[in-house]
Amino acid sequence: MKKTAIFFLTAIFLVFSAIGCKKKDEESSTINETGNPISITHWYWADNSEYSAKMQEIVNDFNEENQQNIKVTAEEYPWDGGGYSETLFTAAMGGGGPDTAAWKLTSTPLFIANNLLAVLDGYIDNWQDKDDIESSLYDVMREASGTDSIYVMPWNTQVLYVYYRPSMFKEANVAVPETYEQFLEACRKLTRDTDNNGTTDVYGFGMRGAKGGQEPWGSFIWARGGDFSDFTTPQAVSGMQDFINLYKNKYVPPTAPTDGFNEIIANFKSGRTAMTIHHIGSSSGMVETFGDDVDAFPFPAGVKQWTSMGDTENVMFEACDNKDAAFEWLAYLATGKGQEKWCITTGNVPVSKRVQAMPEFQENKFMKVSIQGAPHAGIFPILDTTTEWINTIWPNTVAAALAGQKTAAQAMQDLQNGLYED
Amino acid sequence: MGKEKAYKRILFLFLPLILILLFLIFPFYWTFVTSIKPETELYGKSVTYWPRDVTFQAYRSLFIDYNFIKPMKNSFIVAMSTTALTLFVATLAAYAFSRYRFRGRRAFMILFLTNNMFPTVLLLIPLYAIMRRLGILYTPLALILSYTTFTIPFSVWLLNGYLSDMPMSLEEAAMVDGANRAQAFIRIILPVLVPCLVATGVYIFMTSWNEYTFAVMFTNERSRTIPVSLKNLIGQLGVQWDLLTAGGIITIIPVCVMFFFAQRRLVEGLTAGAVKG
Amino acid sequence: MHQRKAGIWPYLLVAPALLVVIAVVLTPVLNAILMSFQSYDLRRPSAIEYIGLDNYQAVMRDTLFWESLWRTVLWVVFGVGFQFVFGFSLALLLNKPFYGRGIVRSISLIPWVTPGVLIGLMWRWIFDGNFGVFNDLLIKMNIINQPIPFLARQDTVFPAVVVAIIWQGIPFFALMLLAGLQGVPIELYEAADIDGANVFQKFFRITVPSLKNTIYVTTLLRIIWVANSVDVIFNMTGGGPAYASQTLSVYVFNKANALNLGYSSTMSILLTLLLLVVAVPYLKSMFKNQES
Repeated sequence: MKKTAIFFLTAIFLVFSAIGCKKKDEESSTINETGNPISITHWYWADNSEYSAKMQEIVNDFNEENQQNIKVTAEEYPWDGGGYSETLFTAAMGGGGPDTAAWKLTSTPLFIANNLLAVLDGYIDNWQDKDDIESSLYDVMREASGTDSIYVMPWNTQVLYVYYRPSMFKEANVAVPETYEQFLEACRKLTRDTDNNGTTDVYGFGMRGAKGGQEPWGSFIWARGGDFSDFTTPQAVSGMQDFINLYKNKYVPPTAPTDGFNEIIANFKSGRTAMTIHHIGSSSGMVETFGDDVDAFPFPAGVKQWTSMGDTENVMFEACDNKDAAFEWLAYLATGKGQEKWCITTGNVPVSKRVQAMPEFQENKFMKVSIQGAPHAGIFPILDTTTEWINTIWPNTVAAALAGQKTAAQAMQDLQNGLYED
Repeated sequence: MGKEKAYKRILFLFLPLILILLFLIFPFYWTFVTSIKPETELYGKSVTYWPRDVTFQAYRSLFIDYNFIKPMKNSFIVAMSTTALTLFVATLAAYAFSRYRFRGRRAFMILFLTNNMFPTVLLLIPLYAIMRRLGILYTPLALILSYTTFTIPFSVWLLNGYLSDMPMSLEEAAMVDGANRAQAFIRIILPVLVPCLVATGVYIFMTSWNEYTFAVMFTNERSRTIPVSLKNLIGQLGVQWDLLTAGGIITIIPVCVMFFFAQRRLVEGLTAGAVKG
Repeated sequence: MHQRKAGIWPYLLVAPALLVVIAVVLTPVLNAILMSFQSYDLRRPSAIEYIGLDNYQAVMRDTLFWESLWRTVLWVVFGVGFQFVFGFSLALLLNKPFYGRGIVRSISLIPWVTPGVLIGLMWRWIFDGNFGVFNDLLIKMNIINQPIPFLARQDTVFPAVVVAIIWQGIPFFALMLLAGLQGVPIELYEAADIDGANVFQKFFRITVPSLKNTIYVTTLLRIIWVANSVDVIFNMTGGGPAYASQTLSVYVFNKANALNLGYSSTMSILLTLLLLVVAVPYLKSMFKNQES
């Protein structure tokens, strides 16, 4: 019997010492000898299988084309409703993580506060393609970091606009709205009981009340003259009231408080809603469903005009050993072939002026609307509270307001406190 | 069997069984139907209970474009190793807890219990750092090790429960006959314990098979397990329902088939010698 | 049972299990406990310092904490309660011989095999207010005439997530109790038959007492598991709308994702203590029962 006990203990020690040996192997393999390829690990998420394949294709191209013997390995991670950024953070904090990664601006303050990101100014200044990207974009990147430095490399953007069904507009005798008032009016008129059975079967507008809904919602706040520096101004509150009224008056589906991206698109595609707000990323699916019976217009101007700019960037980590090589790769994605291929597949708005001028982007009607909306496109204030505000505070506060438990003013006060913590 | 008995059998066996099964299986059926529906029908005007157009495209693309076999293999390796390792050490510990009274017994048991109470999300960053320092990050070993930290305590408790319900007289009789403790355990207890080991094993297997939080952190492209691969199918542009549900079906079926063979062991213990005592 | 000279054996037997668990989770757990006494917010790493019991006081004042706590209680009582009832019934049914039992046994395991990622989404899809099959069924059966947005309404969202967790947990009890039933000596039932006992008498006088420890343990473990479960609610509703389906573990998860780790550790320590308190009567009677 003693033998068995000894056997267990030895087995355990063996396991642990095996672990120890492995450690040594790993350390030796990271030392880069000259002549060996410089390896860069890149993390990204893919919004669908086509994007996933395209990213791998871009990586292969880059590995073959580049002259410096750089070898990029791209690892796909789940988007997970934004959980991607948390995964990235955990890995980086735990001392691991990639050399470069696809990015959302909102996480920037968090990573910078923990000294995880590499400053890119030096690389960008010496970069021949620097001016191929609009200088205002660099300013957005700087602003997002809350410092004077650039930590984030632009990649592509999406501008939100309103999708609509021309056939429904015709049936309801509604013209494409040119003012905010006309838009609200359209929501009302397009809400119809088409088969006269006493229940609404087409709603004017597909409202997004779940996470991510703050983006279309922002347009309402600005249309009444409000902005994001103070949610409690009478103008901002009145925009919120409009939002609530759409729900109260049943111009949006009753599921609105929990409708996320999936639901608003499903509702639109099934003909339950006549308008909804999203960006060009969903246009190919829309055309597949409706052919010509889908079009778009920029969110119209009220007192002010604003629409949300969706963003995707790339970053380099401070822990990256081969920063020059990593920048080479980021540049390839920002202005090189990588930019071209990615934007053509995803339909996202390119950041490279050269790519923007390509015919693929000039002829697409949705791209036109995106570019039309671009001058009014903006982002939410990026503070260290923004992520939590977007993930939990906004959806829950707005749901309470839609249910009538909070007045517009109370809800706006809560949103103010949540973002600015006062 | 008399008429009354048959009627009783229907009322007390088949009727409740069918009702519970209906509840258990319907979502599975719905997953399957969703996986073979074209998108237009998914968001159609009316809900269809069997698709008008059946398409198996999603299954094709999972196997051909996604190489879904690979994450399944990874999941299988991780789940199997976790199960084997856990069962082995947990059985030893559970035997000690149920058959010996020793100083620290209660404290150890409570320690195991509280270990299960603490949410994993708070342990992630330090755990990741530990795995990295051990040099096992992105290998199946990282997942196996982290899974055992919550499957072992759970299994110790379960097995202790089973063992405590087992009449002590069984092994005592054997020991009076001159067998030592290990012999008594292997010859008498183990055969009776088989169903419980199967059940606990299934529990461990399922837990490691379905785990996401650790899996996304401790694996990379090469060692990805199923939950992570499935989650990769949900991007910012929504859920790819067809692929996601097809992936679900593909992962459910082999496990069910496996259990079909394992469950025979659930009754074997009974015939193997439970009633000797 | 007889007190035997235990010596070093029990310790040797427990050692491997203990070693694996301690080696891996000891530092992270201690770390989490320390974090609860600090302003440990990774969004502001430079401001991290020891703040004594401030986090605990803040939690006590947080109405959302108390609401989530109460919801956790309901979540556990209804979730585990129904899982147990249905699971036990299923175990008894599956213990009876009938043609095709093996297949039925493996089929009834399906909810458990289903990846957590899929469970939340699938139930969300079933309860969907526009295309959901549950609404469609209710309309076809003439129970309602307008679809109900189950997950968007604060009064229906919680029952909906509870249904999902019940569904998910039935196979656990079914399997565990089914395994336990195999150890109950048939002679006991045969003797009862001779005494003319009916089904219910046999159930309460033989089945339940013989499975006492198994029932204790499975329920206790399930309570802990359900109280800590996040993914079903998170994937179905994220805790909303207006926090109407947020349990404490979901709250902890959301706060941890917002990287306020100090606050979220504090809440999870309180939850752990609370679960321990719930477990005490269980533990007491179990230890008494085993050691007598």
